[in-house]
Amino acid sequence: MANLSVSLCGVTLKNPVIAASGTFGFGREFHELYDIGTLGGVSTKGLTLEERLGNPVPRIAESRGVILNAVGLQNPGVEHFIQHDLEWLKSTGTAVIANVAGKTLDDYESICAKLDGLVDMIELNISCPNVKSGGMAFGIQPQSVEQVTARAKKGLKKTPLIVKLSPNVESIAGNARAAENGGADCISLINTLTGMAIDIERRKPIIANNTGGVSGAGVKPVAVRMTYEASQAVGIPVIGMGGITCAEDAIEFLMAGAVAVQVGTANFTDPYAMPKIIDGLNSWCDRHNVKNVSELTGTLQLHQR
Amino acid sequence: MKDYVASVVENKKIAENVYEITFETQEPVPVRAGQFGDIAVGGTHLLRRPIAICKADGNRITFCYQIKGEGTKTLKTMKVGEKTNVLMPLGNGFYVEPEEKKVALVGGGVGVFPLISVLRAYKAEKEISAYIGYRNKDAVCGVEEFARADHFVAVTDDGSYGEKQNAVQAFESALQNGYRPDVVLACGPTPMLRALKTVTEREGLPCYVSLEERMGCGIGACLVCVCDKTNGKKARVCKDGPVFNASEVQL
Repeated sequence: MANLSVSLCGVTLKNPVIAASGTFGFGREFHELYDIGTLGGVSTKGLTLEERLGNPVPRIAESRGVILNAVGLQNPGVEHFIQHDLEWLKSTGTAVIANVAGKTLDDYESICAKLDGLVDMIELNISCPNVKSGGMAFGIQPQSVEQVTARAKKGLKKTPLIVKLSPNVESIAGNARAAENGGADCISLINTLTGMAIDIERRKPIIANNTGGVSGAGVKPVAVRMTYEASQAVGIPVIGMGGITCAEDAIEFLMAGAVAVQVGTANFTDPYAMPKIIDGLNSWCDRHNVKNVSELTGTLQLHQR
Repeated sequence: MKDYVASVVENKKIAENVYEITFETQEPVPVRAGQFGDIAVGGTHLLRRPIAICKADGNRITFCYQIKGEGTKTLKTMKVGEKTNVLMPLGNGFYVEPEEKKVALVGGGVGVFPLISVLRAYKAEKEISAYIGYRNKDAVCGVEEFARADHFVAVTDDGSYGEKQNAVQAFESALQNGYRPDVVLACGPTPMLRALKTVTEREGLPCYVSLEERMGCGIGACLVCVCDKTNGKKARVCKDGPVFNASEVQL
């Protein structure tokens, strides 16, 4: 039995496997299938100050090896989460990461202030296609990444802040540094890649929102590369995600520099994907004589060119 | 709800573009009429395919599906003895109250299959009348099941099998002839359900409809498959449905 626990900004996770925001709700549905207290953490469905109804349907499409989604941040609002779901989620024993989004800088500061001290970590969603600032999402330009991080940080006295980075940018390393400069305690990446899938019979996009976020097994090489580049660029810990399906995938991200990983789309393919990944990490470590999974982080050895 | 390992015992064509697949599981699956399963089709398909359970007989579970895209094409190629995972039973299903004795089933297209599960579950205790619409005679299927209803009317859009009518028109004709069910249960294309809702609301008949939507997780976590409720809220088709009181959803 390897030691799977990892430490992230002073928070100890039982293991490095976290449910990715938007694929797992607040955990209740998956808890009907297995004890979600066995997970390293759960990043909640993206929360906003007020309830949001999200986009029209269809909200999902499939393409070979990937899926596209455009749910549009449907959620009951942060107060509803605090009153109805938070205590239950904490009682499962998993680390609670509140994923939050806003329309304005003020929104980000207020929502962080409301959750400060109540959850284990806060994850800033600055890259949802529906979150606009002057026609531009906060997550695209390094200046606005730094600005929104700094404002969110103003609302926080106790809870560490993760900034979730968009891959749809000029320089992932530049945006990672911008988050660090803004005061982020941790970064996570990648959010989804913007894509489109077309119903050729109707000559229309399958998703009602026209474009959607691409995720799933097919995006993994992009995500691993970006995790590597971001972890090289910053001194704060990195959470890697994008297409993780099995323990071996998770290990790639750890070697590329991640301290922990998130699993999203794989939960749809196999609802037991995360418990299987945790078991697989354990046996891989045992087979390779790795005593602590945390030893794997950043051990990638590049070819000399 | 459980992720069953299911092996294919039969996978056959039953109508133009429509197939019936039967799985055997290690243990019996407790299914209510109108519930569905989320079938892993494998390959490069990351999403499972949510399909209504047509027949549930202990550990033999039958689904009928129309070939619509890549996923159902892959499902069609599954051979006897092949194994896959099926997460089931999912959703709320149809529920007929004890005092509702006369049950009308109104179905069209692939919407006829969940109604077969209703017929099988309730035919011993209820008086069931089925009004089933197909595109044409090549699309006709499930007739041997519906023939066990107390009354069964099959119609087609082009008149190549039965009257040239749709299912709602066939149901309306029965109403005009004095038929009055205690409850109407329906599944089919949205325009059909919309037309039916107009009729049942006008006649003051309780009506429950089973909806279809593209799904992500299938268990209520991802909020992909929502529908609009008449109270302005959203409901999850997979978890809060797929069966809804017709008066509570916007069609």
